[in-house]
Amino acid sequence: MAYEVSIFLENKIGHFERITSVLKEAQINIRSMAINDTANGWGILNLIVNDPIKAKDALSEKGVSVALRKVIALEMRDEAGGLDDLLMEVAKAEVNFDNAVGRVITEKQKAILILNVDDYESSIEKLQQQGLKIIDENTVYGVS
Amino acid sequence: MTQEFWQEEFETLGKKDLQKMQVERLNKTIENACRSPFYSELYSKKNIKPGTIKAVSQITELPFTTKQDLRDHFPYGFLSLPKKELVRLHSSSGTTGNPTVIFHNRHDLNSWANLMARSLFCAGIRDTDVFQNICGYGLFTGGLGFQYGIETLGALSIPAGAGNSLRQIKLMRDYGTTAAHAIPSYLGRLYEVFEAEGLDPKKDTQLKTLVIGAEPHTDAQRKRIEEMYGVRAFNSFGLSEMNGPGVAFECTYQNGLHIWEDSYVVEIIDPETLQPVPDGEYGELVMTTLDREAMPLIRYRTRDITRIIPGECECGRTHRRIDRITGRSDDMFIIKGCNVFPMQIEGVLMKIPEVGSDYMITLETMNGADEMVVEVEVKSDWFRGDIKRLNSLSSTITRQIRDEVLAKPIVKLVEAGSIPKSEGKAIRVTDNRKNGLLN
Repeated sequence: MAYEVSIFLENKIGHFERITSVLKEAQINIRSMAINDTANGWGILNLIVNDPIKAKDALSEKGVSVALRKVIALEMRDEAGGLDDLLMEVAKAEVNFDNAVGRVITEKQKAILILNVDDYESSIEKLQQQGLKIIDENTVYGVS
Repeated sequence: MTQEFWQEEFETLGKKDLQKMQVERLNKTIENACRSPFYSELYSKKNIKPGTIKAVSQITELPFTTKQDLRDHFPYGFLSLPKKELVRLHSSSGTTGNPTVIFHNRHDLNSWANLMARSLFCAGIRDTDVFQNICGYGLFTGGLGFQYGIETLGALSIPAGAGNSLRQIKLMRDYGTTAAHAIPSYLGRLYEVFEAEGLDPKKDTQLKTLVIGAEPHTDAQRKRIEEMYGVRAFNSFGLSEMNGPGVAFECTYQNGLHIWEDSYVVEIIDPETLQPVPDGEYGELVMTTLDREAMPLIRYRTRDITRIIPGECECGRTHRRIDRITGRSDDMFIIKGCNVFPMQIEGVLMKIPEVGSDYMITLETMNGADEMVVEVEVKSDWFRGDIKRLNSLSSTITRQIRDEVLAKPIVKLVEAGSIPKSEGKAIRVTDNRKNGLLN
């Protein structure tokens, strides 16, 4: 089961940098990132890292509002149309997601689409029924 | 000859006669107050008896009454009359703690309406005017207070209520509004709507008088409003504990607000020593009702900071003038015409487990309107990384603060630990408004 690291972030100078410096100190490798801004002066920073639990602990210790959220990682082809084809299948499975982040695995000509869904269990089921391959966490974190 | 006064016999009463009238009314007020649970207990403890006041200056021998007293004896502890005699109440907002409620009998309402009519007349408004009251009706005294005054004066009233700027403009143009009452910060906003509609209030309305109050403002702000609208703008002062609007009003000389001394005893005290300060010096305004039957208040500490303007006014009214309010001797502030105590915000936040009880209030002028920005910390252990959950929390806080203080805040969620802890005297309110009077 893969996790992303979600962080509450105010849209203020220096705040993002505070997060990255904590992660640097903890020797965390960030694999991919996405910021969801709300236009209300704050947003959520979602990170895929090599060691989510370690990242969360390091940030928590510094008083940062941080949470681990279960994500579903799907394999896609790293070529034109790869995302489109995959999303078509996800739509057929009738799975809705709140946010998504993509990442390339260069050595394998493959890519991963990482989804954050409301109902984790039933979404996994639907996607598997659709014949989609769920990628294991070590591949997601890039530690395999 | 044109009529210069609403009630010449009262408004131009010589100093001696005015003081004689105050002494008579003060004795009557004390006698009346002794029928209320609060004053009867307080005065019997202090051995104060009705009918013993010989000069107004003796009022300093009586104890003060505070807002806390009103709250502690909520709701009926200050009533001098049986409930059957009451015809209306006005109350402060608030869902936490006891509100400040004032009860009126028919005499009180008539007396208030008369003072309000006198005030409007004093600012040059006549029965030929069309008067639009751009102000919330209901428990807030600015709505009904002005309404009855306008009707008593005999002008045509438009009870427009607050907000909905396009409708306000339409009403003004449809009925040829010549006078209006609004809070000063709203008039800035309304002007922007005029501009956005391609209209100029100087040419496209018949406005000639604006009454501005319920919110402290500077003379520069008044002048700007006068220029924007091509009108004369008059400062109105009142507080619900003293009825509401119609307590003190500017005359056409615009050099201070005549405070109606046949209906109130006015004192200015040093809020630290509680001793009277000489005329001309700033201090806290303390007021006593002289013509209220249902709920007299004696030496009520208003917490408003002002001064008596020495000297006589050219208009011929003998009632002394107070200066515009320059601040408060407590931490109350006024936003969108609503009186807000930081404690009220704190009370709301303390009931919301997802946020910490530390908060910051910043008053800002945004797009011509004054806004109250409330920053609150999201608790780290509640955070799940879910935007929807945070957004819904933000709207809950917004709604609950609005229900409490009536003014809608802009709620900003901030990182845990980013607000200074409430140890000792942390400053919770910053006033960055263009015409903000706090600081």
